[in-house]
Amino acid sequence: MVKQETQQVSAFTIRMNKVKTYFSKPQNVILLIFGIILTITTVAPIVAIVQDTFTIHPGTIDANLEKKASGRTSGFTLMNYIDLFTSKLAKKNLWTPLLNTVYLAVGTCVVSILFGGIVAFLITRTNMAWRKYISSIFIFPYIMPQWTLAVVWQNLFNSNKVTGTSNGLLASLFGITMPKWWCQGLFPSLVVLGLHYAPFAYILIGGIFKNMDANLEEAATILDTPKWKIMTRVTLPMVKPAILSTILLVFGSAMGSYPVPHYLGLTTLSTKYISMNSKYTGEASILAIIMMIFGVAIMMVNQMSLTSRKSYTTVTGKSGQISKINLGKTGRYVIAIILVILTFFTSIFPIISFAFETFLPNPGDYSFLYTGDTKNLTTKWWATSENITENGLYGQMGILHNKTIWTAFFGTLLVSVACMLTAGTIGTLVGYAVSKDRRSKWANYVNSVAFLPYLMPSIAVGVAYFILLSGEKLNLFNTYWILIIVGTVKYIPFASRSALNSMLQLSGEIEEAAIIQDIPWIKRMTRIIIPIQKSSIISGYLLPFMTCLRELSLFMLLCVQGFILSTTLDYFDEMGLYAFSSGINLILIITILVFNAIVNKVTGASLDEGIGG
Amino acid sequence: MKKFVVVLLALLMAMSLCMAASAREDVEEVIEQAQTMTLEELAKKAIEESNGKMFYGVGNSSRGKSALPLFIDYLKTIDPSYNMEFEWQQPKNNKIFDQLTADSLKETGTFTMVLIQDGNQIESKMVQTGILDTFIPKEWAEANGYAEGEYEGYLPLQTLNKIFEYNCTGEKTYDNVWDFVAEGEHGLFMDIDSEVVGKNFLYMLTADKYADALKDAFDALPENEKPYFEAVIEEVEEDAYDLDLGENGAYALAWIKLWVESYNAQTDDGPICNTLVDKSATDQFGLLVYSKLRSVEESDSVSKNNIKVAAYEDGYKGFGGYGYCHYLFVTDNSPMPWTACAFIAYMTETVDGFSAWGKDLGGYSSNPKVAEANEERFHHMTGGMAEDGTVAFAAMNDRGYDWWVNEGGLVLEDPVYCDEVSFTVGSWIEMLDKYSGE
Repeated sequence: MVKQETQQVSAFTIRMNKVKTYFSKPQNVILLIFGIILTITTVAPIVAIVQDTFTIHPGTIDANLEKKASGRTSGFTLMNYIDLFTSKLAKKNLWTPLLNTVYLAVGTCVVSILFGGIVAFLITRTNMAWRKYISSIFIFPYIMPQWTLAVVWQNLFNSNKVTGTSNGLLASLFGITMPKWWCQGLFPSLVVLGLHYAPFAYILIGGIFKNMDANLEEAATILDTPKWKIMTRVTLPMVKPAILSTILLVFGSAMGSYPVPHYLGLTTLSTKYISMNSKYTGEASILAIIMMIFGVAIMMVNQMSLTSRKSYTTVTGKSGQISKINLGKTGRYVIAIILVILTFFTSIFPIISFAFETFLPNPGDYSFLYTGDTKNLTTKWWATSENITENGLYGQMGILHNKTIWTAFFGTLLVSVACMLTAGTIGTLVGYAVSKDRRSKWANYVNSVAFLPYLMPSIAVGVAYFILLSGEKLNLFNTYWILIIVGTVKYIPFASRSALNSMLQLSGEIEEAAIIQDIPWIKRMTRIIIPIQKSSIISGYLLPFMTCLRELSLFMLLCVQGFILSTTLDYFDEMGLYAFSSGINLILIITILVFNAIVNKVTGASLDEGIGG
Repeated sequence: MKKFVVVLLALLMAMSLCMAASAREDVEEVIEQAQTMTLEELAKKAIEESNGKMFYGVGNSSRGKSALPLFIDYLKTIDPSYNMEFEWQQPKNNKIFDQLTADSLKETGTFTMVLIQDGNQIESKMVQTGILDTFIPKEWAEANGYAEGEYEGYLPLQTLNKIFEYNCTGEKTYDNVWDFVAEGEHGLFMDIDSEVVGKNFLYMLTADKYADALKDAFDALPENEKPYFEAVIEEVEEDAYDLDLGENGAYALAWIKLWVESYNAQTDDGPICNTLVDKSATDQFGLLVYSKLRSVEESDSVSKNNIKVAAYEDGYKGFGGYGYCHYLFVTDNSPMPWTACAFIAYMTETVDGFSAWGKDLGGYSSNPKVAEANEERFHHMTGGMAEDGTVAFAAMNDRGYDWWVNEGGLVLEDPVYCDEVSFTVGSWIEMLDKYSGE
């Protein structure tokens, strides 16, 4: 009897000990808590949107078709699927937008990785001139809302002759008209989005280049290996994880981009979703699901690559030397000049153009440029303090006095800071925990479920959360809560990816040495791990902040304009009040630069500093 | 114990359902009573109900935000201690319907009242589903010559018109509505998928009245211009028959087909106006909201004299544009139905209440008395005259609602007709290939 009791106690103790041992590892606690939370925040909206595709929506096509078929006007139906895939409009509503979306996403990845990757390499691995300047200026397109480059593109290349709109700068000043394919459609969309996401590739790939252990390359150099071979056999394989991460992040983002294709006249799943939503509500939700399926597929590819991926420990604590390629006395300047010119057009020109736009008497009225007469300039867009008399401001007050703009500004700051802190912290912890327990299935699951929302196009995530959180019991529509929740869920991958990539580079020996010394986990994190990978971790915080500041696709269905700056900016852009949208753009850019400078001052790190500095 | 819990839950559920139902009945009862009351009586009720409270309104027009402080000032003239906080939301991208549907699920809604456009969706998504209730103010009905309970439609705050305007810096003129869909023409127009009232306009063209007008305009064309259009009219004749349209339905379908396949889609009327008033837009035209002209500032390349309103030109044949309404509703679960009714009455019965919109040309109060007083205040009919009595900007002399409907052939939206044809004519329109500039 006693023996039996001993056995029972022993089994219980063993179990308890196992549990205790499991939870004694901080990474396991992190994985368990966030595994549960992230499962709910990811799965619940998906379930909501799937349900929506089977629901009959009054006044829409499903209600009409179901009424004809069975007389029902409420309940559930398969009509949305049947009509979307088999009707005469299938090509127009589904297949063409789908194909365009894929072309756009692939093209954007190619442009961003080539442009961002090459610049990252030149800045971190060569002795090119003016690296610090180029590094700082290169991230500007990512700071700006993505469609602002599209608007700049229109302002540059549109012409009355080709696009039937006002003449852009090239046409009005030099009489140059660009062909239609250059002005509208796939080409400008993928170039604009590619330029927008190139800094993203630059940050991720550059981070690896910068922190890369030079031992391997040095060894190859000592063995007299040709430079091209070192590049293809040593350097590129080491940055492959970062390139893959960039593809994963950019592909999903490009797929879900609404404003760029909208402004540049390309029909994608996102633009189709918006145009179909009023009459084909359930079918539009299927489009959102299709976008999500792409997200899941990308994640599965990522999983396959993770399991087959070789592990590259690039930060060992043994070597801090990075070998730099000598471009030659002339070469280092020639390449730098080319980049300075390129970045002028992608980073400086838009800002000049925005500033100039706020002083034009009418939107797009460049009379001053032809005449040189200062009468054709005005400060009304900034300084007008009343909206009673007609000042040509469409009933608005000037930017400095416009309550809507400043309320939206503070709303944006609130959402961005909240998302930065929550997404940054959760993502960093998840990234750390996953890196510590990479072989565990649960860790891989948590990693995937944390990453999945990012792979899902923004607009689809917005739709799903709108459906989920605007119901009878819980109605958060048009509150800052819904924006913070969605922003956090969506941007955790920035931090988790950034943290995971950097932690994978970190040799286990470093933390093991601290564990042997019995140093508590908090201290290990704050004194060893975070300081070593500071730039990557800060990127994990700054990226959600910056992205949130000018996010539109994710938030546009969740709140009204005037709530945050991006929806307000989009509102003014659509209205054609470019002075206001340009002014808001300037406010956004200045805000980000100020924050970047503060972070730089306080922590010694910044988004680009970690790479170009 | 379990049984007790089950019974308790059932009771709670039943109670909450009853409460929700009674809240809705309350709103309907309030509206019924409010329809027999004067503005002043409603104002007193509103003061009792909303003093010190928060008012949430939602609308397609941002001007509700400007009208609310004037309404509060009006209530203060009755009770100087009165005050009310307010928030006015203006959702975009058709989101107003989703927002109202989501809010309707609550026992007591967030939104007190609504200002909304697009009769078609209002009918099918808001009215037939019981989400919005119509309130007809007593004095508004009287001003329009209706006896109590006689008026059956929605309550329009105003009719807005979108009109054909063309850049006149060149030699080209447009004297027939078919000229806008002639070969090689690409008018600037807000995409019908982003602004659904544009789609309603196309639906309305298939109504007999407007199809007949299109036939008349076609008959007035010079013989050498007819063959291009005749080919299309013949092509769609069978479709017109299948869609059960009237005698001249094919003319409507032909015009719609040519329009959809030729217009150059823009994001908003603002950019269209900006393009047309510039001297570089020689021979271009657009179909846009008239009021956009008010904000154009004269410069070396931009002028309000660079455009002409097609319908104002002598000998013009066919419709000069289309009109759509901003409607006012009380939400069926309104938290403050008396205040909603009082505010609606204030906007539709007083010139101050309408002034937030009244200062613009191209927007016409649905109350003839208010429209008249508004014209006396803002002088839109002579808005383009210089101080010395000469014409400074001809396009700015708004000829008024009656002229637009009777002489300008304005195509007016009928929500019920739009709802009827949205899945017949509507689906046919969706099959057309929009102009992509290729």
